[in-house]
Amino acid sequence: MRDTTPDAVNPVTVSVLQGALETIAVEVGYKLMRMAYSSIIRESEDFGAALTDETGQGLAESAQSTPLQSGPIPGYVKAVLATLAARGEPVRPGDVIMHNDPYGGASHGPDVAFLVPVFHVDQAGEHLVGFSVTTAHHLDIGALTPGSCGIVDAIDAYAEGLRFRAIKVHDRGVRNEAVWQMLRDNLRAPELVVGDMEAQVAASRIGAERMAALVAQHGLAGFRATCAAMLDQAERLMRRAIAALPEGSWRAETRIDGYLDDPARRDLPIVATVTKVGDGLVVDLEGTAPQIPDRPINMPFHGTVDVAVWLTVRSVLLDTAILGHVPVNEGLTRPIEIRAPRGCLANPTFPAPTIARFCPGNQLADTVMKALAQAVPGQVSAGIGNLKVIAFSGLREEGHWVHMEIFEGAYGGRPGQDGMDAVDTLYANTRNNPIEDIESHLPLRVTRYELREDEAGAGEWRGGLGSVREIRFLTDAGTSVEGEGHAHRPWGFLGGGAGATARLSLLGAAGGTAALPSKVPHRAVKAGDTFLCEGPAGGGYGDPFRRDPARVLEDVLDGLISPATARRDYGVAIAGEGIDEAATRALRTGR
Amino acid sequence: MNLIGVDVGGTFTDLVLAETASGRAVIHKVSSTPADPSLGVTRGVVELCGKAGLAPGAVDQVLHGTTIATNAVLEHRGALTGMITTRGYRDVLHIGRHQRPEHYSIQQQIPWQARPLVRRRHRHVVTERLVPPRGEVLVPLDEDEVRAAARELRAAGVEAIAICFLFSYLNPAHELRARDIVREEYPEAFVTTSAEVAPQFREFERFTTAAMNAFVGPKVRDYVSRLAARLREAGVGGDLQVMGSTGGVASVAMVAEQPVLTMLSGPAAGVLGGAWAGRLSGRDDLITFDIGGTSADIAIVSRGRFGEASARDTWIAGFPLLVPMIDIHTIGAGGGSIARQDAGGAFRVGPQSAGAQPGPAGYGRGGTEATVTDANIVLGRLDPENFLGGGMTLDAAAARDAVGRFAQRMGLGLEAAALGILTVVNANMANAIRSRTVQKGIDPRDYALVAFGGAGPLHGAEVARLLEGRAVLVPPHPGITSAMGLLTTDLSVDAVRTCFQLSDAMDLPRIAADFTAMEAQIAARFAADGLPAAAARFSRAADLRYAGQGYELRVAWPAEEADAAALLARFHAQHKAEYGHAFPERVVEIVNLRVTGAIPRPHLGAPPPRVGGSLTEALVRRGPVVFGSAEAPEVHDTPYLRRELLPVGAAIPGPAIVLQTDSTTVVPPGCRLTAEAGGNLLIEL
Repeated sequence: MRDTTPDAVNPVTVSVLQGALETIAVEVGYKLMRMAYSSIIRESEDFGAALTDETGQGLAESAQSTPLQSGPIPGYVKAVLATLAARGEPVRPGDVIMHNDPYGGASHGPDVAFLVPVFHVDQAGEHLVGFSVTTAHHLDIGALTPGSCGIVDAIDAYAEGLRFRAIKVHDRGVRNEAVWQMLRDNLRAPELVVGDMEAQVAASRIGAERMAALVAQHGLAGFRATCAAMLDQAERLMRRAIAALPEGSWRAETRIDGYLDDPARRDLPIVATVTKVGDGLVVDLEGTAPQIPDRPINMPFHGTVDVAVWLTVRSVLLDTAILGHVPVNEGLTRPIEIRAPRGCLANPTFPAPTIARFCPGNQLADTVMKALAQAVPGQVSAGIGNLKVIAFSGLREEGHWVHMEIFEGAYGGRPGQDGMDAVDTLYANTRNNPIEDIESHLPLRVTRYELREDEAGAGEWRGGLGSVREIRFLTDAGTSVEGEGHAHRPWGFLGGGAGATARLSLLGAAGGTAALPSKVPHRAVKAGDTFLCEGPAGGGYGDPFRRDPARVLEDVLDGLISPATARRDYGVAIAGEGIDEAATRALRTGR
Repeated sequence: MNLIGVDVGGTFTDLVLAETASGRAVIHKVSSTPADPSLGVTRGVVELCGKAGLAPGAVDQVLHGTTIATNAVLEHRGALTGMITTRGYRDVLHIGRHQRPEHYSIQQQIPWQARPLVRRRHRHVVTERLVPPRGEVLVPLDEDEVRAAARELRAAGVEAIAICFLFSYLNPAHELRARDIVREEYPEAFVTTSAEVAPQFREFERFTTAAMNAFVGPKVRDYVSRLAARLREAGVGGDLQVMGSTGGVASVAMVAEQPVLTMLSGPAAGVLGGAWAGRLSGRDDLITFDIGGTSADIAIVSRGRFGEASARDTWIAGFPLLVPMIDIHTIGAGGGSIARQDAGGAFRVGPQSAGAQPGPAGYGRGGTEATVTDANIVLGRLDPENFLGGGMTLDAAAARDAVGRFAQRMGLGLEAAALGILTVVNANMANAIRSRTVQKGIDPRDYALVAFGGAGPLHGAEVARLLEGRAVLVPPHPGITSAMGLLTTDLSVDAVRTCFQLSDAMDLPRIAADFTAMEAQIAARFAADGLPAAAARFSRAADLRYAGQGYELRVAWPAEEADAAALLARFHAQHKAEYGHAFPERVVEIVNLRVTGAIPRPHLGAPPPRVGGSLTEALVRRGPVVFGSAEAPEVHDTPYLRRELLPVGAAIPGPAIVLQTDSTTVVPPGCRLTAEAGGNLLIEL
């Protein structure tokens, strides 16, 4: 990168091209979301769309997709190019390539990508100039039990479902019917899943068409030079932000539950050491627990670990609420080097299974924030509450119904404001399904969806509250759970208290309550059984005794904390609907 | 008839009086009175009548575009609002869809958490539960709990109450009963139910819409009744009607009940004004392009019809809104948009804006940052001596200084930087137009761009060129196009019902009964407002999707079609046009039925044909104006022409700058300008 000399390309042209590429990526994402059939894409928005150059460098991503889907796309493309090159198979016009290999750039098996190559033709011939790519989380990928989440007992990569390594589902414009037939025969709920895949192909093609027109407009040389300048600008943006950090190296450790009912596979450390090296960062994950060779909570290094690190660094150093729009492309990630010992949870070796890497990866993102907090305490939140995904499934006539729901976490307190309540955290940013949609289409009843009261990390800035959701089965069915955050409380920061752990219970139709761990392999449930899912609350930021008593009172009046909590955690005495000033002074000075 | 249109903006209140018989139109502008806009409106109406020599009592109707509701939401200054909702779901408004607005931000605020429409202490739960598919009662309504909640909210000083129950769109009985109880207990409160405002599924969006209706309700209700009273006191005749977001006007009573329908009142009037201008040139495929100081509003008119926003793309101040609206795409790009270099060295323009205060550097009010307006001054496109008809003198030196400082940071020459600012802002606008045209299967080359607002005509031709368009129209009074638009619409009321029926098992009699009931409901509404319900014309439509999809497309379904065959064919075609793909073998789901009822009213006619004028008379002076690109600026000796003296019907080659009191039109080299007899300027590219 040229950091001191001006770019060779006019900055006006760069700005115009960047806007055009973003417009295309947004269009692709918008169309995929609207054409898709399953709620995991159309309601939860668990999909990605991005454009890359011919080597897989990310050029632009769709704004409405979730970071864990768009972020890995450049990695998918690079792995597809390497796989095809190894096979001696060229990329040709009219190809559509399917890929989901977690040891080849994919985030995990259910996140299937469809790549459409973009070609430019001029007097010199036909040139591959890039790829238009969509990814989406599919409801089922042919794993051992229904649904593509909560497969927490897969013992290796083969037990996780079908693996596609750069498969041409359209070859030079001809549809590969055999592959599509295999998909229909090996995936549960094929109507939905194959329908979603076809929507992906249609949306990716639109992006490829638009990108080809854009290249034609700029000319091949102009397009490439302008893209190079655009990536350089993003790289400079990140390097300047890194250069502004104090010198140092910051280590943080958190733990994931792992398998709480298995002493050998629980309470696993995640460690990140962030070191400033000039205007670059090294993120070293040395110290993270060894991989679990026969349980799928290992995190693909490319596709999950890198995205988790990038997400956190970008959100902390280039916060868009402060900076405004920041273009997302490969330049942003160049200054960040990620290291993880081979064979650890964050860099597993084949065929260690990975399908349930979602929550561990978000814990890694949180750990990186905990390390950065030491460098830039005014730009972070205290510890986040991690997430949970539950698969619901059953048989209707002779077909499966499958539904997935992501259960929200919460953010820790932040400098000057409380944590965000009951939201997806860090690298996940999906949406819940409306209750009125779930109950209209599935044999489920959502009997409660509210904030979880009186459980939040105390702080000058309080941790965000979790949620409580109850979901009842109206017919006999099956379910599986992959989650985190039952054993380890989100970290408090600068004197703030730790947040609250999550809980999950199954209330039996016939009475009786079973407390469940954060991971539950597929099990049968009866009509009338009800999940009670209590989400985690974020950690507190700053000393709770410095919280403005008026804010404590507001929380009491809103029923978010009890008067007893106000007194114990915040040193604020509530009298009726007001503050007992004298008693509060006594409590706060007498600590 | 004598019609008056009044559009209230942040700085000015624009008024136009139209005599439908003669086609005469008289325009007027007064300063807005933000503390109580009804003062400015009333003064403006009286002054306008004086100017036109018309007795105020001879006015037949006053049509009004208002931003009262919008501003209450944007500034978060509404009523103290309470909510009564189903037990178990107290926090639907707070949790939302559990998604953060920004992916890459730790310090962001979530609008509904940081600025709740209803605070948690005022969200009361009561025992009741309905279930799908038809809203069957699973748990009956506990009326005592509703009564107790109403009393508590009253004691808490709440002014407005939203009643929001799950599945009420399938069966509104519980909400209506609760509303009656609340009215008994607390008759002064503004009460709204979610199914009355937005009878569609998706609880967060519906509840938010109802809460917003309550939040703005008392303010809007008081405002429209105060305005009606003031106009009466001032002796102004006729009744008052208010523009809604769909481009129809509604009675004061209707607006007082459902103020949330006026969220896009002003911009909708602009689109109508653009469409009216298009008709003056005999065109009905249009892109309306309204640029002000901080933002640009873009809408598409196809064969005279406005696109309607999908309910899932409709947001105000970050809150989702489930009410029908014209599809108006707003981007942060206007005359005040600030050019800057980001830390990576990138060239950015907007969305930050210098606004009206301090405004662009060239306004000489202390602004120091380079804005789009300053770039236009530097390039000679805005004439410092003839801005707003000479009503304001621009400080060209300040503009040059500001752009010069920015140019130095970017390592560009002064003119190259100014051209760069316009190139970037025009590209942003063109991208926004592409997202509503090319991306939806509409070819913008076949559409005329109607450029208005203070800054639209400055940019119209160059934006149209980026879209490979062929024609730009500049309306007679670009700065008050919204006020004109108010005089071109009908009274309308919309109804919607969620229906969830599949194309392979359709219950046509039930659908027909639903449509009939909705039409009766609209007719009753008109009758209640004292309007001639018998004159109402109805148009039917349905929201369709492939079964399993989550987004619907709106498709017209004329009453004369006995079955759904043609409807489904139109749906497949529209899906193909909008998304590039159709799945004709798949089952289609009808999600919502819609009816719009309209009572025609007299419209603003075409202005009397213009005659005369000559280039010599129109010529103010000649001067250098910079065109070309940032890489290759070109200076052209360019005439500055006075619009009202242009020769009618003669083609004038660009470059040219056309001056008038409320806007400046840029005609780039290679384009052709014609002042049409119908009143528009036509720029052919």
